[in-house]
Amino acid sequence: MSISINRRRFLQSAAIGAAALSVPSGITRALAATPLTMQAAWINDAEFCGYFAALDEGYYTDAGLDLTYLPGGPDVIPESTLIAGRADLALTTPDTTIKAIVDQGAPFKIIGAQYQKNPIGIVSLAKAPIKSPEELKGKTLAVPPVNVISVEAMLEINGIDRSEVNIVPYAYDPTPLLKGEIDASLDFTTNVPYTIEQQGEEAYSFLLYDFGYKTYNDTVVVTEETLAEKRDLLVAWMRASRQGWNANFQDPAAYPPKFADTWFKGTGRTVENEIFFNEAQQPLIENPNGIFAMDDAGIDANIETLNRIGIKASKDMFDTSLLAEI
Amino acid sequence: MNEAKRHLVTAALIAGLLIAWEVTGQMKLVAGGTLPAISAILSRLVAEFPEYLPHLAETLKTASTGFVIGNVIAVAAACLFCLFPLTERLFRGINITVFTVPPIALAPVLVIAMDGNAARITLAALLVYFPTMTAALTGLQTADPRAIDLVHAYGGGRFKALWLVRIRTALPAVLSGFQIAAPAAVLGAILAEFGSGARWGLGSFLLGSLGRAEPDRLWGIGLTATAISALGYVAAALAAKWVTGENRALGLTVSQVRSEPERGRLHKAVMVVAALVFPFVIWQVLIWMSGLSPIIAKTPYGVFEYLFLGRGAESAQTRLLVALGETVPVTLLGMLVGLLFAFLLSLISFLSPTIMRAILPFALFTQTMPLVALTPLAVLIFGRGLTVTLVITTSVTFFAAFVVLAQGFAMIPKSAFDLVDAYGASVLQKLRLIAIPACGKWIFVAGRLALPKALLGVMIAEWLATGKGLGNLLNQSRGYLDYGMIWTVALVSILLSVALYQLAELAEKLVTGGRSKK
Repeated sequence: MSISINRRRFLQSAAIGAAALSVPSGITRALAATPLTMQAAWINDAEFCGYFAALDEGYYTDAGLDLTYLPGGPDVIPESTLIAGRADLALTTPDTTIKAIVDQGAPFKIIGAQYQKNPIGIVSLAKAPIKSPEELKGKTLAVPPVNVISVEAMLEINGIDRSEVNIVPYAYDPTPLLKGEIDASLDFTTNVPYTIEQQGEEAYSFLLYDFGYKTYNDTVVVTEETLAEKRDLLVAWMRASRQGWNANFQDPAAYPPKFADTWFKGTGRTVENEIFFNEAQQPLIENPNGIFAMDDAGIDANIETLNRIGIKASKDMFDTSLLAEI
Repeated sequence: MNEAKRHLVTAALIAGLLIAWEVTGQMKLVAGGTLPAISAILSRLVAEFPEYLPHLAETLKTASTGFVIGNVIAVAAACLFCLFPLTERLFRGINITVFTVPPIALAPVLVIAMDGNAARITLAALLVYFPTMTAALTGLQTADPRAIDLVHAYGGGRFKALWLVRIRTALPAVLSGFQIAAPAAVLGAILAEFGSGARWGLGSFLLGSLGRAEPDRLWGIGLTATAISALGYVAAALAAKWVTGENRALGLTVSQVRSEPERGRLHKAVMVVAALVFPFVIWQVLIWMSGLSPIIAKTPYGVFEYLFLGRGAESAQTRLLVALGETVPVTLLGMLVGLLFAFLLSLISFLSPTIMRAILPFALFTQTMPLVALTPLAVLIFGRGLTVTLVITTSVTFFAAFVVLAQGFAMIPKSAFDLVDAYGASVLQKLRLIAIPACGKWIFVAGRLALPKALLGVMIAEWLATGKGLGNLLNQSRGYLDYGMIWTVALVSILLSVALYQLAELAEKLVTGGRSKK
């Protein structure tokens, strides 16, 4: 293992030397880079701006990585991609990852967290706002089937019986909310309020996080095997990704337009929506200790939240040692 | 002149329907404007067309790759089944499985087991396989026996006969199979793109566009999907015409159960068991070959263990039974409603081909429009109860059944009507005395086609609108990372489809005394 690291470091310094000799840097970078694959949680949108920025700015190549970025989708379970060996690291929701560790014995470690506060929340129209879990009683709430686990947890934490809320599937389209067919939906609060405003309505939203469901989101997850074999690469990835996020947040309106013809081309969404998203997510991602930080208080809050709903999370599922090496 | 007049009436009817749609959209009459005016859809489609191009290219690439692979396998399989009839019986379980499997239950499993691109092509290929295989097999088996005898007389074996006679005579049939396979490939590609995290493709474009709450965009994508499906159909039809010099009507080859010379009960029983076991053997072998972790890739035993032996077995059984209890009755009801609707449509087409020709383009549209794009419209109009499930199920089931029933109506000899005409029978009497009885056996064939599709329709409605049953269980299991349940739902929905298919076949045999084989 140490041999491969030495080889990589050697190639890296060779690359720097070569760059100094003004050889076209793209070629030498390609020679030096070690492949690494990441599985994102959804299709390309502002949720992943930091990685796109790092890719475009060459932060990964500078760190000796040849990063392959895989978008997600409704049928993609990021954890599966890890187990199948198709990606080295994945962005996941911590509740599913930890449930997989506990129930299936999946060999996962959480090595960082993109969202310090989970951006999922209850979105309603301002003209008929739902301001707390309590107000969901007797209402119809649309939830993507994948997220029902989170909503049930939030209801339980707030002492609300599951049967008091009429939970129906959310089919990715806010039209039923706009037309009043449903009273609220569960979505990224950083995203869907933009659409609602575009349609001439005002949105009201609250985070599940602010009502006791204190979890991270887009946790950076690897298998124990990858952690052992590619530790240096993972640290390099986290360092470069942090750089990307920092660059992105210097002006959240700056990068999305730059991605209009690349990362965001043809996604079906608008650049204005991505700017809104990027601005809204900044306070949920940034941490004084740097992007991806996981401090004791945060980890404990995750564990406590999950334990309350019967998912036996524990500290050893989180590995903060890589963060310390960034 | 008469013919031209009829075409004129059809054109006028279509124009009338389009104008009604336009007015409805303009005046926001349906669900507060959720049904956009056709002019709004088209003008936006034209304006945004450059944005569509890379998606179109990707969908066409995936669909055509799946089309080629699926068809090569289908034709090879048909040759194998024709040369060694025993293999057809052995593969019977596989064939019915591929025909009946609800794609939405299969897609998540494919995405777990393969990388995204392979999963997308596989789904397209799987949907292509059955129509081509059945068409090719029928073609191969109906070759002129005298020509085959001739090959044998000159010392040629069955391979020689296959090559010299059967394949040549089967070509038109194969090409007619392509006509159904081409739109199926497009549908499979879009469905897989939607779920599998594809960067490009109409399916991913649809997924990204859903969040905008702009129905005209969604309809634009749906129309584009319809257009390329229709293009595939027309291209295959033209190829068929070019090869055979004639225009063959679209026909669904529905029954592949040929009566083999019976070799006793024991032999028959052995073959039935083999056909049942064989799919599981293939499943097991595929998992072994993939080398995937048992955590995500479940073998048949893995599912058995999950359901009956594991820690959560009891809870898994309960959840599954509750879901089945919600899904199965609605599926049966949905099948009946779908059949009834198909029967009414075929009745219309029988009574007035002119009206039918006007309705047909709209009926075809329902077959290629991705349902997820229509969900808001459906729930706004029909709510989230039984009605919406039945509507979605009917939209998925009726078309195949309609094609079969219309064929049945069309095959009634005109002389039969002349007789009752002579006695002055009214239209209704004609229906009661001749048309409906003559359709009897076709209803069973239609039912066999409709049943597995009904399960698909119900699961789609559960996934998108009602949040109940198997469709919901499948999607929630993904959130719980409950791989055992994901595989279980896939397996159970396949078993259920196969069982329903067999049930319809059994009913057909009982009623017609087993004489209905084509």
